[in-house]
This record gives sequence, structure tokens and C-alpha cells, in this order.
Amino acid sequence: MTSIRTLALLVCAAVLALGVAACGDDDDDGGGTETTTAGTPAQGGEAGGTVSIAASVPPTDHGWLGQVAVKAREAAEQFDDVDFELVEAPDADGQAQQIETLINEEPDVLVVLPYDGEQLTPVAEKAMEAGIPVVNVDRLFSTPEAARATILGDNYGIGVQAGEFLAEQLDCQGNVVEIQGIAGISVTEDRTKGFADTIKELCGDGLRIIAQQPGDFNPDTGLEVMEAILQAEDEIDAVYTHDDDMAEGVVAAIQNANREDEMILTGAGGSCNAFDLIEEGGLYAATYLYSPTMAGSAVNMARLIGLGEGFSDLLEPEVPSEVVVPPTQVTQDNVEDLRDLCFTGAGG
Amino acid sequence: MSTPPAERATVSERLQSAGSLRDLLGMPSGVKLQEFALVGVVLVLILVGAVLEPDSFPTTDNFRAILTQASVVGVIAIGMTFVIATAGIDLSVGSVLAASGIAGGLVVDEGTAAFVLAAMGFGLLLGMVNAGAIAYGRVVPFIATLAMFAIARGLALLMSDKEPISLLTADGVRWFGTGEIATIPVSVVIFLAVAIGGWVLLNRTRYGRYVVAVGGNREAARIAGVPVRRIILSVYCLTGLLAGLAAVLLSARLASASPVSGNLLELDAIGAVVIGGTSLAGGRATIFGTFLGVLVFAIIFNLLTQLNLATEWQQIVKGVIILGAVLIQRPERI
Repeated sequence: MTSIRTLALLVCAAVLALGVAACGDDDDDGGGTETTTAGTPAQGGEAGGTVSIAASVPPTDHGWLGQVAVKAREAAEQFDDVDFELVEAPDADGQAQQIETLINEEPDVLVVLPYDGEQLTPVAEKAMEAGIPVVNVDRLFSTPEAARATILGDNYGIGVQAGEFLAEQLDCQGNVVEIQGIAGISVTEDRTKGFADTIKELCGDGLRIIAQQPGDFNPDTGLEVMEAILQAEDEIDAVYTHDDDMAEGVVAAIQNANREDEMILTGAGGSCNAFDLIEEGGLYAATYLYSPTMAGSAVNMARLIGLGEGFSDLLEPEVPSEVVVPPTQVTQDNVEDLRDLCFTGAGG
Repeated sequence: MSTPPAERATVSERLQSAGSLRDLLGMPSGVKLQEFALVGVVLVLILVGAVLEPDSFPTTDNFRAILTQASVVGVIAIGMTFVIATAGIDLSVGSVLAASGIAGGLVVDEGTAAFVLAAMGFGLLLGMVNAGAIAYGRVVPFIATLAMFAIARGLALLMSDKEPISLLTADGVRWFGTGEIATIPVSVVIFLAVAIGGWVLLNRTRYGRYVVAVGGNREAARIAGVPVRRIILSVYCLTGLLAGLAAVLLSARLASASPVSGNLLELDAIGAVVIGGTSLAGGRATIFGTFLGVLVFAIIFNLLTQLNLATEWQQIVKGVIILGAVLIQRPERI
């Protein structure tokens, strides 16, 4: 027994020693970049070499996120010098662990759309400290050290534009129902706040939000919530929704109740199905572009960062640290002109 | 154990008198008591709703809306009752619903019948996979259906290319969601038919007795000649089939087959079954209880949304009502 034990101990010690040695080597290769100052170019991607990009996105629990993965992959395929890997997190908590694994694989650049910006800030900072520049998509990390560059839409701006649109359409008088996104995330809160601030400013108390419920960016939930609200409220003048995919369920509820003529509806995102409905006219009056193509753009930005280059149309030699995509309003007037920009999250 | 004759008489006397006291009061035992308590909960909720929202809650229109919404979870919960009665569980029903809906959506151009058959058929197929894994593979139901929970969701996304399939022009399919049979919404008719069918199956057939026996004491059932393996196979096939049916009802109302449908639906179904009085440990089941449980959830959702309660309060209130509903029931035996 004793000899087996000693043998086992020796083996463990050897493994341990090897492990320590291996880890020790990694630290030396890590290299210098920690801070996000625009001055430091990325390591790893020599101009002319391949840029390895790893992307982490949340689980596809609604249409928009599904398209994010599609657009990111499409963008990567455009280039010969990009080695691309995309992982979908199994759930909100799993994403942090997945990113840790990606960090160990030492990609040149990391693209992250965090399920929740604040929760994933620590792991993003870790990546930055390990010398891997991070491109943050859509949902903001809570510190500037967590990303080299950010691309996002303007959620507050969506609320503002929708507020202005409805204020004008309804002449600052009426009952508005708000179907929100997933409760508690910044995307939802900003869209709610932008809308509330704007109608207060423009109309005082003229436009009243008579019901406000989360639809979770999901058509099922949108359907059921709207069905219940339609029972509760006899007079609805407008419905402000946070998402086109979710709005499909809301629209179905309104149609099933035969109340399409009573109100108008706005969405957000820019799905081709929404474009179709806007073109038809009637209930679906407007949507705001918040396209999943920003994930594709993020991949492009990541590649440029990996190559140590900037945007070709700008004079500055490096990729800007924040790109905000404006929420272009799409109504019956301009829907045909903007057709190319819609994303198919619907219609099959 | 042996008790001296004198004490034995006293014990049996006491038992007898207790029995007759229950009979005297007309009080049923065990599951039946819980069902009555749950009826009380439903009535209280309706009363509260009528008081708080007198114009919009206690209306025929609203009750139709509540029952229509309840029908999707309801149909699944009836099947879940059978599964739980065998001391099993099916965590995959929400994902199977999504995958079935997509399966139907892929062939919807061939007609309404094609849609319905494809949806229910695919649901049945996935249910059979569960059944096989559990009955033959000897995989624990929790694990087997957890795996299917993930697989079915993946299939739904894969088969649909992550995009919902529009059913806007499929009037035949939409009839399931918006049509009526003798002024009752089709979804509700189907739900009631499934509930009644489930009740008859559980309470008036040998199959139903077998199901409960398998859950109550598997070894005893096996020794008594109950075809245990076949019974277990059948209940998971049943939930798969009913998930496919639920997919038809939901997609019809949504006018779209969506790959992200049915998220966490299994929790609602299981919750409804359990607060209805069916025991998670198996051996005791009630279809009427499940029906009431489904109704309770649907009424709560409708009422809290009508009251425009902020979502954070809705979660808390829902949890408290559920806890209350279970505590009121106070079963005799765990």
C-alpha cells in the first residue's frame, strides 16, 4: 500500500509541476496591452496575417438574436484573412464561463454581445487585461475598461422618435399601451425612458400610458399580454412596442379581436415582416431601424482592430471607440427606399 | 404488530367512528378535498377580479379570453397529469411545442390537415424518443426530458433557420385560434374535449388504473401483471402528441409558427398539475384538479395584467397565490 501511495504522490507532484511550468510560460507570452486608450494597437494580428476573431452571443430566445449570429457569420465570410468562431451562450450565466474559455484560446479579438452588460463586465475586463481587445455590441458594459470599441443602436433614441411620431399622429391626445422588452435590461429601460421623457416634454399629460407590460421580445408573450390588455381597455389609440418580432404577437392579438381600426402601432428593429405590414398601411405605422447587422459591423471592426487599421473613410488611423447607429424611422413614406436594410426575422 | 384484543377493538372503533364522521360531514378524503379547495380559490380570484375591475373582468368576453389562453397550457397539462401520475416528469413540452409548430409550418402550404398532422406527428415522434429513452434506456425521466428540452429547441431553430414561419394567409389553420363552434372558441372546445377525454381515460378505464398503479408502487404493479414498461412508454408519447396539438392552438392564434415559442411552458404545466392535487411522487392524480390549476394560472395572469401591475409585483403576487393555493389544500398524506 505504502509504495502505491508514494507512487501516486510522486505522479501528482509531477503533474502539478508540469502544470505550474505551463502556466508560467503563458504569462510571458501575454504581452502588454491592458488599457483602452486609443493609442495602443492590438497584438497578434500582423498586417497581412490572419485575424482570429471569437464572438460570444446570448442564447437565441428571440428572433433578433437569431439574426445576430447569422449576420456576424456572413460578415466574417466576406474576408479571407479572418478566422471566425461564434459561440452561443447556453444561458445568461453560462456566457461568462464561455468567454473565459474563449480567452484561453487566445483569439486576436473578441466580439461580445452580453446578455447583461453589467454582469459580464468583469470577464470582459479580464479579456482586455489579457491583451485581447473586446468589441462590445448592443448591450453596454458598465466600465470603459471593458471594451476597446463599442457599437450599439440608440435605444433611448428609439423611444424619442416613437414618442415624437405618436405625439404627432395623435395630436398629443390619447391612450397609449406600451409593450416592453425583457424587463430589467438596459435596452428595455432606455426605450421606455426615451418614450416617456419625450411624450411628457411634447404633450404634458395629453398622451397617457394606460398599460405598460413586458413582452419579453417574444411573440408568444406579446400575444398573451396584449390579449389581456385588450380586455381591460376599451379605448386604445396607440401601441408602442419595443420590438418587431414581439409586435407580431401583439398585432395578432389586435387582429383576432377585430380592433385594428381603433389604433396604430410602432415597432423597433426593422424586420422585413414589419416592413411588409408598414407598406400595407393601417395598424402598423412605423418601425425604427435597430438592425442585427451591427453584429456584422462589429466583426468588421474587430478585423480592422486586429490588423491595426482604422475605418478607410475616416482620416484617423484607428477604429473609433464608440459607434452609435441612429434609429432611422421607417414609415409608409420611405419603406420602399429602405427595403434592403430589413432583416428577415419573420415571414420565412 | 400485535395489539391486545381489548386495545385492538378500541383502535378499530376509533377508526370506524372517524370514518363515519367524514361520511357524516360528507367530506371526501385526500385528493377530492383538494379539488374543492381549489374551486374555492378560483371563486375567490373571480370575486377579487370582479371587485377590482368590474367593467372588464367579469365579462363573457374576458372569460372566453381566459379560457382561450388557458387552452395551450391546459392541453399539455392534461398529458402531464398522466406522466406525473407515473412518478415521472416531462421537462421538454415547451421545446417540443416549438419544434412541432415549425414542423407544421414547413408543410402548411399543403393545407390545414397537413399542418395539423405534421405538428401532432412530430410532437408524437419526439415524445416517442423520450419514451424510448425512459422505458428502454432506463434513463431517469428528469434527465431524458431535460435532454429533449435542449434537443427539441435546437431542432426548432434548425428546421426554421431561426425565423418564424408566417401563417397569416393560412385561414384554415387560423380557424383553430379564432374560429368558434357554437359560439365557443375552437381552442376552448378542444381543451375541454381533451380534459374530458383525459378524465374518462384516467378514471373510467383500466389504462387509467394502471397508470396510477405504476406511479403508486411500481414493483407491486409489475407483480400484479400491469404492463409497466408499456404504460410508461405511452404517457410520454401522450405528452408529445398533446404538445403538438398545443402547437397548433398557439400558432393559430399567433398566426405564426415561432421557433422561440413555449419558453418555460413546462413549468406552468407542471405547476398547474401539482397545485391541482396530483402528487409528484406518483400514485395519485386528478384531471379535474389539473383543469382547475390551469384555470388558476390563467385567471391570475389575466387579472394582474388587467390591473397593469408592474412585472416585479406580478411575479411576487403570482408566487404568493400559488403558495396559498397549495397550503389551503393541506393533504392528509404527503
